[in-house]
Amino acid sequence: MVDKGMDRREFIKATAAGCGGFFFLSANEIKPEETTGKKPKEKKFIYRILGKTGIKLPVISMGVMNSSNPNLVRAALNSGMVLLDTATTYQRGTNEKMIGEVIRERPRNSYVLATKAHPPTDRSTGLYTKEATEEDFQKKIDASLKNLGLDYIDIYHHHGVSVRESALHEPVLKALEKAKKAGKIRFIGISTHKNEPEVIRAAVDSKFYDVILTTYNFKQQHQAQIREGIARAAAAGMGVIVMKAMGGVQLQERAEIPVEPVPALKWVLQDSNVHTIIAGFTTFDQMNLDLSVMEDPALTRSEKAHLQWAAFQTGLYCQGCGQCLQQCPEKLPIPDLMRAYMYVYGYRNLSHSQDLLLSLNLPPRMCGDCAECLVKCSIGFNVSRKIRDVIRLRDVPAEFIA
Amino acid sequence: MKKFSAVPKAWLLFFPFLLIGWVLVGSASLWASGGGGGAYSFPEMAGWEQSGEIQTFSRTNLYDYIDGGADLYLKYDFQELKVAEYRNNQKASVTIEVYRHKTPVHAFGIYSQERLDNASYIEVGAQGYSEKGVLNFLTADCYVKMSSVDVGPEEQAVLLAFAKKLVDNWGGKGSLPLILSSFPRAGKKKNSEKFIAREFLGYSFFHSGFTTDYELAGRKFKLFLIEGTDPKDCRKMIQEYLKHTGNLQDKVEEGRYQLQDPYHGGMDFYWQGVYIWGALDLADETLRSQVLKLFAEGLAKKK
Repeated sequence: MVDKGMDRREFIKATAAGCGGFFFLSANEIKPEETTGKKPKEKKFIYRILGKTGIKLPVISMGVMNSSNPNLVRAALNSGMVLLDTATTYQRGTNEKMIGEVIRERPRNSYVLATKAHPPTDRSTGLYTKEATEEDFQKKIDASLKNLGLDYIDIYHHHGVSVRESALHEPVLKALEKAKKAGKIRFIGISTHKNEPEVIRAAVDSKFYDVILTTYNFKQQHQAQIREGIARAAAAGMGVIVMKAMGGVQLQERAEIPVEPVPALKWVLQDSNVHTIIAGFTTFDQMNLDLSVMEDPALTRSEKAHLQWAAFQTGLYCQGCGQCLQQCPEKLPIPDLMRAYMYVYGYRNLSHSQDLLLSLNLPPRMCGDCAECLVKCSIGFNVSRKIRDVIRLRDVPAEFIA
Repeated sequence: MKKFSAVPKAWLLFFPFLLIGWVLVGSASLWASGGGGGAYSFPEMAGWEQSGEIQTFSRTNLYDYIDGGADLYLKYDFQELKVAEYRNNQKASVTIEVYRHKTPVHAFGIYSQERLDNASYIEVGAQGYSEKGVLNFLTADCYVKMSSVDVGPEEQAVLLAFAKKLVDNWGGKGSLPLILSSFPRAGKKKNSEKFIAREFLGYSFFHSGFTTDYELAGRKFKLFLIEGTDPKDCRKMIQEYLKHTGNLQDKVEEGRYQLQDPYHGGMDFYWQGVYIWGALDLADETLRSQVLKLFAEGLAKKK
């Protein structure tokens, strides 16, 4: 599992790699790119090979998930994008049907189609329930084929895996293997957006999967571990596709200031082990911005500056680096207090916050003896103000909150 | 840093919580009023017991429940999700997910994105449909998704009973957006109406709009409708659109617009008052003029 808290060394390693060294790779540290083919409007796109699948893809692909606009999908393909990514569950299959409408007008070798499904899962553990059978998964594959109107799917992902056991769940693996043998799918993928390092490790070790699809962005606390996993996967010949390069709408909305899409995409592409990103654009303007990244993924100086600044605009989310623990003379459990603050002001979950506060065995008098707070939060939280705000909840009778 | 007062005034202590409480009560009343005035609660059902706590998810943690699917719900101004699970003594289970959105139109929007044209539609709430082990419906500002496991041959009856009780608890089933009735009837594909909450037609300046699929005289096409907040809003949208398509005009007046869109091809639309309506993917100009005229008549009845 991904550690919720990181020790200082790990944090420094992660941030140094993610916000320092990684941004400033010199030109000869980046593998040479292949620029092939003149696409419409004389654009030269950057292509990478999706591991041992041998599929050549431009570095940006379309995550169709949030769009029900067939003309946007047409425009993406007309502009030079090749891979379309969807899932059986997106709009309960209507997303696949909409894509099916678009691709049936085109030669089968002019696009690459990836879709996915996840077996019934116990949300609290990430393990599959007894309903996660081979037959159930086969039905999902067949449903996708029907929705898309295809004889075969290029990449079929075992979707939303968050623990090793699920990555290796035999009934699902059997269903995928049979589908591949039957020619229903060309390549088998695995997707993960939670506990990614463990899942990637399991996928690589299993030697079963051809492709991984993972969350990876410049704001992630555990980006160093994901990068390491991606490197292992690429070294093992797996194709590497990245999703949520900007953290997704959810992270965007949680953030106080939105992330600029172009630098965020370029940041991911600095990692030459990433073969393509599925970008979830929903407007033509956003698509055109993404196309500009396909031409030139090099980060400009101002884009680097934006990312460094944005990486620390974390809203309410404490990164758990633990540096504050040494700085506070009262040895207060500051990361926990920041979490309690987030529960109230982010999630509006007062009872959860109060439960946490009461479980911390805090001293009756908090911060009262310090004339000046000595804590310098690594991501700039005004720690004493947040503590002062949230600690009042401790004294509110529980019946006022429940 | 300023030293904190050890004994702040009581009202200062409680004020933030009164404020938060007000927000929470406010959202609870929204929940109730959206449902038709009754207080929201999951129903009691003979032979079934609620299993575990009711789970609640907000905009900030919906992702924990539906992963990447949360992105689309957030675009439809999702407000809150409540999830309850029921079990009977045969160890069968029914899960009810109630997604509350900002307005009934937003709830319809996400429902319309997910409803299946070939599903078996049933009378529950504003509209609902069922398939094996699943019953989904729309009621007021909530999109309700129900599923069952191991219920046996009675599953559809059981799900429907739960659904009806939920709607009764709310005291009102709500309705589909009334504006949909202004779309011409001839050739309209049943249950194809959609509400797109943002970036309509792939343009951010078109904020939201409705589309419906048609098949008429052997031609498949879409009609669309954008409702502006006021005529100025419509003018601004059209100005932006004309600019984007290289048809910039000094004066933008109410009336008909025919132009070539780089992504949608031929576009033919009207603007009058707060409405912009038009046709997509319909090359036959005679047919286009006919349906847009019918559309105008439908909208005129709304005024």
